[in-house]
Amino acid sequence: MTPITGKHLRRRTFLRGMGVTVALPFLDAFVPAGRAWRQVASAQSLNDPTRLVCIENVHGAAGSTAYGASKNLWSPATIGSNFDLTPSALSPLEPFRKALTIVSDTDVQPAEAATPPEIGGDHFRSSATFLTQSHPKQTESSDVRAGISIDQLYAQRFGQDTPIPSMQLCIENVDHAGGCAYGYSCVYTDTISWASSSDPLPMIRDPRLAFEQLFGAGGTREERAHRRQERRSVLDFIIDEVSSLHHVLDSADRRRMDRYLQDIREIERRIQQVEVRNLDPSASELPGSPAGVPDSFDEHVRMMFDLQALAFETDMTRVFSFKLSRDATGRVYPNSGVSRGFHPASHHGGREQNIEDFARLNRYHVGLLPYFLEKLQSLEEGNATLLDKAMIVYGSPMGDPNVHNHKRCPLFVVGGANGQLEGNLHLRASPGTPMANVMLDMLHRLGLEEVEQFGNSSGVFSLAG
Amino acid sequence: MLNMRQTIVGALGLCLGTGMAPIHSAYSQALPATMAAQATVEQTCRRCHNDQRRSGNMSLQDFEVARSNERPAVTEKMIRKLRTGLMPPTSIGNRDEIALANLAMTLEAHRDHPDNTPFNPGRRTFQRLNRAEYTRSVRALLSLDITAGNYLPLDTKSANFDNIADVQLLSPTLMNGYLQAASDISRLAVGDPTSTPIEATYKVTRWLSQRERVEGAPYGSRGGISIIHTFPADADYVFRVSFHHETTGELFGSGRGALHTAERSEQVEISVDGERTALIDIDRWMHVSDPDGVNLWTPPLRITAGPHRISAVFVRQFDGPAQDLISPHEWSLASTSVANAYGFTSLPHLRDLAIRGPLNPTGVSETPSRARIFSCRPGHAVEEHLCAEDIINRLGTTAYRRPLTEEELAALLTLYDIGSSDKGFESGIRMALEGVLASPHFVFRFEEPPVDSDPTSPFLISEHDLASRLSFFLWSSGPDKELADLAAANQLSRPDVLVSQTRRMLADPRSEALATRFAAQWLRLPDLERLHPDVRTYPDFDEQLKRAMLRETELFFDYLLRKDRPLLELLTADYTFINERLAKHYGLAQIVGSSHRLVEFPPSESRRGILGHGSILTLTSHPGRTSPVLRGKWVMEVLLGSPPPPPPPNVPDLDDTEVTQDGQALSVRQRMERHRASPSCSSCHLMIDPIGLALEHYDVTGAQRIRDNGVPIDANSELYDGTPLASAADLRTALLARPTPLIRTFTENLMAYALGRRLEPDDMPTVRNIVRAAESRNFKLSAFILGIVRSPAFLMKAGVAEPKQVGVLGSKSPPTRRPPA
Repeated sequence: MTPITGKHLRRRTFLRGMGVTVALPFLDAFVPAGRAWRQVASAQSLNDPTRLVCIENVHGAAGSTAYGASKNLWSPATIGSNFDLTPSALSPLEPFRKALTIVSDTDVQPAEAATPPEIGGDHFRSSATFLTQSHPKQTESSDVRAGISIDQLYAQRFGQDTPIPSMQLCIENVDHAGGCAYGYSCVYTDTISWASSSDPLPMIRDPRLAFEQLFGAGGTREERAHRRQERRSVLDFIIDEVSSLHHVLDSADRRRMDRYLQDIREIERRIQQVEVRNLDPSASELPGSPAGVPDSFDEHVRMMFDLQALAFETDMTRVFSFKLSRDATGRVYPNSGVSRGFHPASHHGGREQNIEDFARLNRYHVGLLPYFLEKLQSLEEGNATLLDKAMIVYGSPMGDPNVHNHKRCPLFVVGGANGQLEGNLHLRASPGTPMANVMLDMLHRLGLEEVEQFGNSSGVFSLAG
Repeated sequence: MLNMRQTIVGALGLCLGTGMAPIHSAYSQALPATMAAQATVEQTCRRCHNDQRRSGNMSLQDFEVARSNERPAVTEKMIRKLRTGLMPPTSIGNRDEIALANLAMTLEAHRDHPDNTPFNPGRRTFQRLNRAEYTRSVRALLSLDITAGNYLPLDTKSANFDNIADVQLLSPTLMNGYLQAASDISRLAVGDPTSTPIEATYKVTRWLSQRERVEGAPYGSRGGISIIHTFPADADYVFRVSFHHETTGELFGSGRGALHTAERSEQVEISVDGERTALIDIDRWMHVSDPDGVNLWTPPLRITAGPHRISAVFVRQFDGPAQDLISPHEWSLASTSVANAYGFTSLPHLRDLAIRGPLNPTGVSETPSRARIFSCRPGHAVEEHLCAEDIINRLGTTAYRRPLTEEELAALLTLYDIGSSDKGFESGIRMALEGVLASPHFVFRFEEPPVDSDPTSPFLISEHDLASRLSFFLWSSGPDKELADLAAANQLSRPDVLVSQTRRMLADPRSEALATRFAAQWLRLPDLERLHPDVRTYPDFDEQLKRAMLRETELFFDYLLRKDRPLLELLTADYTFINERLAKHYGLAQIVGSSHRLVEFPPSESRRGILGHGSILTLTSHPGRTSPVLRGKWVMEVLLGSPPPPPPPNVPDLDDTEVTQDGQALSVRQRMERHRASPSCSSCHLMIDPIGLALEHYDVTGAQRIRDNGVPIDANSELYDGTPLASAADLRTALLARPTPLIRTFTENLMAYALGRRLEPDDMPTVRNIVRAAESRNFKLSAFILGIVRSPAFLMKAGVAEPKQVGVLGSKSPPTRRPPA
């Protein structure tokens, strides 16, 4: 371990180092000698943006029905801090209630039909509204329109310091002919991230592809280590080549080559960081990169969560959007205890037993989160965990899926967002409040204070209660 | 200053000598008088372009024709506007065409006179291989076809092209892409018996009609996919095929109207190099909620290393026209509600093919790449190092596009040693190959100044750099052996050799890059990729039609080039290249089969030249309606080099104007007329729109039509110079009446592409000189290419402006161009 000196280590080294070494105590080496962590933390908070994860669940919740609301199948009965999660689909989050902020009863009005031809097309429109809170243009052609999504607004401002500004992940296959209809282009159902109102971003389904983007190629830990070693030899080789080039280039080209050399050294440093990390036996094992997409839904989701935690840990990226399923999917979740497919079960017909069944599906989905939250909580940086530094948004653009409405939609946030969220809080919006108002507040808490309007927002709904 | 010019022109004379007039001599006669031209500026131009009105944000208040070379940007702008006839506008009354032509000519004479134009061959920073060049270079080096898009991000375009050096930004992500590519490609080329299994997925676009056989697939099949996949080792591979399914999860194409029955189920065939290796029955009751979803797997199949053609296709179960209630469209799955409507035959559609492996690898067989790499095989351990040196030197020389220095070879051999000490000879070669592919000498194209030259003065680029400029211009790839040998012997810059090599390279199949890369980008053909016309109005538009359109324009340009046709045949040709699908779309009979062929139009056909090509007409349309604005803008920008200014803010979208008036449907033309009633819009739209309106007889997909939204087509309009237009033929004639801007714009684009930089006002004299020289050769395409290749801009490079180093040249340093920061 580096002895304490007045020398300040570079920011990225600091973050990487932290994530790497759970086993070591807080690394004083990274705090300039003679200064307390808290002082450093406040000085660095500007350079330590919140890790943002936006998770979409397509089919709303049982708790958005009149019956479900009366039984508190989603929203707890009381607002404030003393809410009871027992009857709710959110009950798996009980261990994390201190980090939990629930916002009940906001509407996603942009997902509603605006013109007669749009009526009934909710499944093919609403995913595009979730993170954009904008009404998608009904078209099957290339002239698609929605709005910029919250994750991209954030990534465009704060994601540029990491190797990958943002990543988009999904679980179900995209580009189904059968997945889009009613005159809507498939991109509206394929992705929830929009870089601009006309620029939908593709989502990665294959964990292997996501993994290789983050950590390089190789099927096993040994193979990756071997390839990293080779990569370092090649980098050494390149650096030698460049230095011999330097005196033959003219000054303009030389400046450009200097930039190139910086890029090469940056890549080299990334490799070193991964290796430092691997030297620590207690560091969590890198998930094996599978040959393709796992068949089991749970396994697939867990793998995607592993990747997100790992990416945060190594500071490869700070922004994820994550689509758990496709609208109208018939997928059956064997581990949920419900035998009906997701879409058929969402059309519960208003029958109480069916609504209760659908609530079990909701609980099953929410129940996948603690795996991720535990991981983030176990990763400490100073006196804060990655969960304290994260804002994990989970919600749906659908309310009661049986009637395809977009009222009283599910929405909650987990994580401290770098001290921006208190947690242990249940808020209830007045009827008709746009979900965009909550997202506008999220943007402010993420550091985009100057944003005055997001989607169809009509004001700010404060997450501070 | 004078000294320098003499040296340079002397050097040029040396290389341009025999058989060709030096490029600068064209205008060496006395300058024409300026009095008449000055009068035109004062009486005509200054009516609007004065200090008070400053129309177009330009004042010619103190503009003197005699001193026009002091204001190159303004002068070039004037020349352009005068030559296109865009200025003066017809609204100021009758134009004195003779006086205007005299003004343009006088300005050009002053600009082009060698005494007036500072000598400046221009400069650019070094280029990096873009996706297309990288793919071609790897193919040339290793006989390996790769998809560069898997590694490298999209190329940034500037001035139409993807090879403009100063916008080719470097970033860690990009460098990582090159490193990843080097690692993967070296493994694929050498073969890797130890690699762990991965899954490669090939997608079938939903816009592909899957009723007919696809290109490359066995006969008797329909739909599916056929690709060349490179296998890393001799091993077992598992193939997975996935199908499109209904919204509700059932396999698409097994519901009502399905041909797919219990008695005769649909089957999928997997074939390797045309030979059936697996035949799978499709379970028509497959469902997304099944454990396996709507996917089917083959058992592990034994396949040898190297490239193999893999087809996953449906066995064709029906013949002849389907008995549908509605006569069949060329369906794709662009819209399931259309493709699966009542009364339509629906068939299962392949969504993607995945290849997983290698499993149980046993070794690596001979492959084309290995044959290319392993020119020697060491029989004994002592021979290994010599053999390695031989291989690495050869690969390195091709990849670096010049001989290796001793240090460079030694550095690569160090990589070989690292690799071979670990896993033996082949592994060492692979490691060195990874180094070659990752090296800045492969990825970048440096152009080094001569050893003891003054860095601020222009210099002739080296023979090897000239070979690279030539081969990247004509082939989008590195030099071949013949070119490299000539460069090594210092023969390439000899004028006769340069010309004969250019001609040889143009005749070579690799010059297809000029059609598929230069012409395609100049004409904006890549925009076609992003466009999907509205499926309800144009249900026949499928991927096959789109590909046929693209191919038509590419083949057409390729033909002009290979037959060395006059440039303006681009607009006038009474022939084109079509296949059955496109012939049907154009309403031409008796073309059978999927391959394109030369077809002459019947005399009555108005679809002549590229203005009649489906590709151009489609890419300038909106999905649901034609756009005279986009079409007009395309002609002004792409063909005339005079893009209209961008629209003012807060302009209402045409789509927001009423589609009907008093219950009467409106055509696009009528809606546009209402739209541009505003005077702030009409000033520009009066120039743009008439061009597009003349093409209104072609719909969104370029098919001929007589009505739009039920209203008969009215293509009558008036070109900006007053010429009445009523059809595409009129537009063509009007454009050809002023051929100068067409020819110069083509030359400018070709030159920017050849040089990898945007042209500047100081390049325009060279452009005009090339055009003048081409005129004497009837504007044949080779005249333009040779003109560029022989120009100082191509053969030379300006030095860097370095304020302190002026000693040798006196007080004036030569004008140079810095790349924008």
